[in-house]
Amino acid sequence: MKKYHLVRRPVQSIKRLLVYYLIGIVISLGIGAILLASLGINPFEYYGRMLTIGMVGNKYAYKNFEGFLKVLVPLLITSLALGLSFKMRFWNIGGEGEFLIGAISAAIVAFNVTGLPRPVTIILMCVAAMLSSGLLGVAVAFFKVKFNTNETLVTLMLNYIMLYVITYLGKTKEDWNFFLDPKSARPIFGKFPETAIMDGIKIGNFNLLWSVIVAIVLVVLIYIYLKYTKHGYEIAVVGDSAATAKYAGMKVGKIIMRTMFISSALIGLAAGLTASASGTISETITNNVGWTGIVVAWLGKLSTPAIAITSVLIAILQFGCKTAATKYPSIDSNFADLLQGIILFSVLTADFAATFTIKKKEDAKNA
Amino acid sequence: MEYAIELKGISKRFGTLFANKNVNLQLKKGEILALLGENGSGKTTLMNMLSGIYMPDSGSIIMDGKKVSISSPEDSAKLGIGMVHQHFKLIERFTALDNIRIGLRDEKGLFLKKDTKNLVLTMAAKFGFDIDPDKLVSNMSVSEKQTLEILKVLCYGAKIIILDEPTAVLTVQEIDKLFKVLRKMKEEGHSIIIITHKLNEVMAISDRVTVLRHGEYIDTVVTAESNEKSLTELMVGRKIDLDIKCVPIEKTKPLLEIRDLTVRNDEGAIAVDHLDFYIRGGEILGVAGIAGSGQKELCEAIAGLRPIIDGKIIHKGENIVGLSPNKILEKGISMSFIPEDRLGMGLAPSMSITDNMILKNYKDPKGPFIDRKYAREEAKKVIEKLKVVTPSTETAVRKLSGGNVQKVLLGREIKSGPNVLITAYPVRGLDIGSSFMIYDILNEQKKKDVGILFIGEDIDVMMALCDKIMVICHGRLMGVVNSNHTTKEEIGLMMTGSLDLVDKGGKTAGIARDSAISETEENKETEEAGT
Repeated sequence: MKKYHLVRRPVQSIKRLLVYYLIGIVISLGIGAILLASLGINPFEYYGRMLTIGMVGNKYAYKNFEGFLKVLVPLLITSLALGLSFKMRFWNIGGEGEFLIGAISAAIVAFNVTGLPRPVTIILMCVAAMLSSGLLGVAVAFFKVKFNTNETLVTLMLNYIMLYVITYLGKTKEDWNFFLDPKSARPIFGKFPETAIMDGIKIGNFNLLWSVIVAIVLVVLIYIYLKYTKHGYEIAVVGDSAATAKYAGMKVGKIIMRTMFISSALIGLAAGLTASASGTISETITNNVGWTGIVVAWLGKLSTPAIAITSVLIAILQFGCKTAATKYPSIDSNFADLLQGIILFSVLTADFAATFTIKKKEDAKNA
Repeated sequence: MEYAIELKGISKRFGTLFANKNVNLQLKKGEILALLGENGSGKTTLMNMLSGIYMPDSGSIIMDGKKVSISSPEDSAKLGIGMVHQHFKLIERFTALDNIRIGLRDEKGLFLKKDTKNLVLTMAAKFGFDIDPDKLVSNMSVSEKQTLEILKVLCYGAKIIILDEPTAVLTVQEIDKLFKVLRKMKEEGHSIIIITHKLNEVMAISDRVTVLRHGEYIDTVVTAESNEKSLTELMVGRKIDLDIKCVPIEKTKPLLEIRDLTVRNDEGAIAVDHLDFYIRGGEILGVAGIAGSGQKELCEAIAGLRPIIDGKIIHKGENIVGLSPNKILEKGISMSFIPEDRLGMGLAPSMSITDNMILKNYKDPKGPFIDRKYAREEAKKVIEKLKVVTPSTETAVRKLSGGNVQKVLLGREIKSGPNVLITAYPVRGLDIGSSFMIYDILNEQKKKDVGILFIGEDIDVMMALCDKIMVICHGRLMGVVNSNHTTKEEIGLMMTGSLDLVDKGGKTAGIARDSAISETEENKETEEAGT
């Protein structure tokens, strides 16, 4: 006979959730500190550098902040986009694949459209990326609506297909392959022409990329879209109960396809912006945002402001870990990944602990 | 007096909620005990503790003078307790015999025993069951499945048999048959607990009644010394007027006429089969039929949610077949369907009352935005008018109690001022007080000349509330009867298809004499049904 069982907490309080998150983070940092100390590194110093993303006491602090924003923007947009489809209970785990096809399309424009002004080129790249990713998303939604295929499997498989497509492009030295650097004998991806590389607003030495502004505007727009528009209302109803949506006269199939288009197109936009900002593409251009974005969307409980805050925190963690690691020869960026994993794991555990509680079964007593 | 089983001070908590609090119950050997209580009063929870599904938090169970501990269904079966659940626990693709075999604990060895079939047949003969052991469960009717469930526990040697709302899915004739079997079992020395909230059945079958209210033990009375009124008071905790009013209203011309309607279900089988009927303004037309006789498909077809194969749906003389659900809604035809899980259709459970108010007309405001201010006003109105108990307009519907959920749904449907109201199972799962509030709402709509199609489960309620009752069986019309001039038995026979009143004596039931359809003037000589 089982003596203990899990019980969902009757009241969910934000305060408890935050306290648990904090406890989880402290515990994981503690584990990290032990590991760091065993390698002869002062953990406080390391964490200090990590949380300030290496900006304190750094002559080139603005460079670090730029780097941080480059990590943040794709993660933020992708998480919001995934949140959009999750809100509809459409399990789009194809963020990686949608990101990659968007990046490839942006690169096609970048390598082939020359002679246009920079803003026009970049906008064309983004449009191409959004269309290709959007169409990929619509295709998945179409099969779901028409044949009730499992969107989780289809989007998961497409991730690998897209990964192999970009790997093929990056490894095939042929005349037709305009993606590659013509000067290099080894197959490597070429650099975009100057007009395809994003610039920004100069604030002193700091270069505020346009993509950051686009991302901030998107947060506001998506918030309004989900909360106040008819489309947002439809997404909420379809996600809550498809039968009810149908009963209310909504065209459920149409709504699913439309939302998936928007969701994937946003991921495409993230890819276009990222490609343009880095001036090239690669197999690792996604920086795993398609996966991390799923975690961010859920940690943010699918609420737009919470997703925005969560992605900032995760980006600090990712970029901060890497920056801090560069300072010490005894560890490399793999330690950053390890620490990230420990922290994410404990936050998810904390989330679980905040939702459920373990109760002891009382034995039957004599009355 | 030796009891077959005795429960003392049983308590069971789910979270902070007490499902059972200090409940006592004594079952004498060879008696039929009715366990009476409203929905949510903890009847099923209590019985699940006897069948080993739950463990009590405190209290003791005594059998033959000894304290026993039941921590699994296995323990329960060993003690000779058998439960027939409300939702059958049968494997559809197995035969009756194989379903019984699953739980037979004395079948040892590698091979199936041949004489199990004989055991089943002897058992069936002993209690007067009519069953074919080789029939697949998937081919069985509801009442056959229930028979099999009872036979199953008898074959396992159960001496104490618990039946959870066994009559909910049966027709009047089938209930009679069931009761005969139960009396036979009692004669053979079995002790029976029957869970129900239908008073007439309690009076008909039980020896004693134990009443629960809000999880607490109220009283145990001898059936012969009580009556329906006193039992209701015990069950509800206050005096209640048990008369459902049927307000007579001057009827108008037919508002909605259904001619020759044929609709398929999701599996592609014919669910509604050439159905004819009509609703006038100011009348409530009841629809009676065994569960799954095409009720859902009929509702969906009228609301434009399901394509129709053949036939006409005429609203005020205009054929509305092929119109979009929104267009049909604009014409004033409102449909509310309460499914078995009570939340699946009509309401978005995680969304607030406010957001649910505009489910059907969120598209009305111009531009891309929804009008939440208007929605909040509407929510306030519904909450006030129907006395919905809720902390605020922004509370998620799923957090409300069953009665309040249904009030929100009906409130939204009637606030748009429909002229035809289709309501399926509006009191499903509600307690008596809430049910009466729903009946009052419907009668109020009737006074406003609204034509109401009431799809119900409880024939007693329908006979009291409705002006006329239409009976369907496998999607076919069995006849429309005037509720003043019919009996439960007649309706029961029609529900099973053994009585067909359509086309008797040259009458075509279900087609109005003063039809609003101009092109079918030749039908004028047809009579109004049942009158």
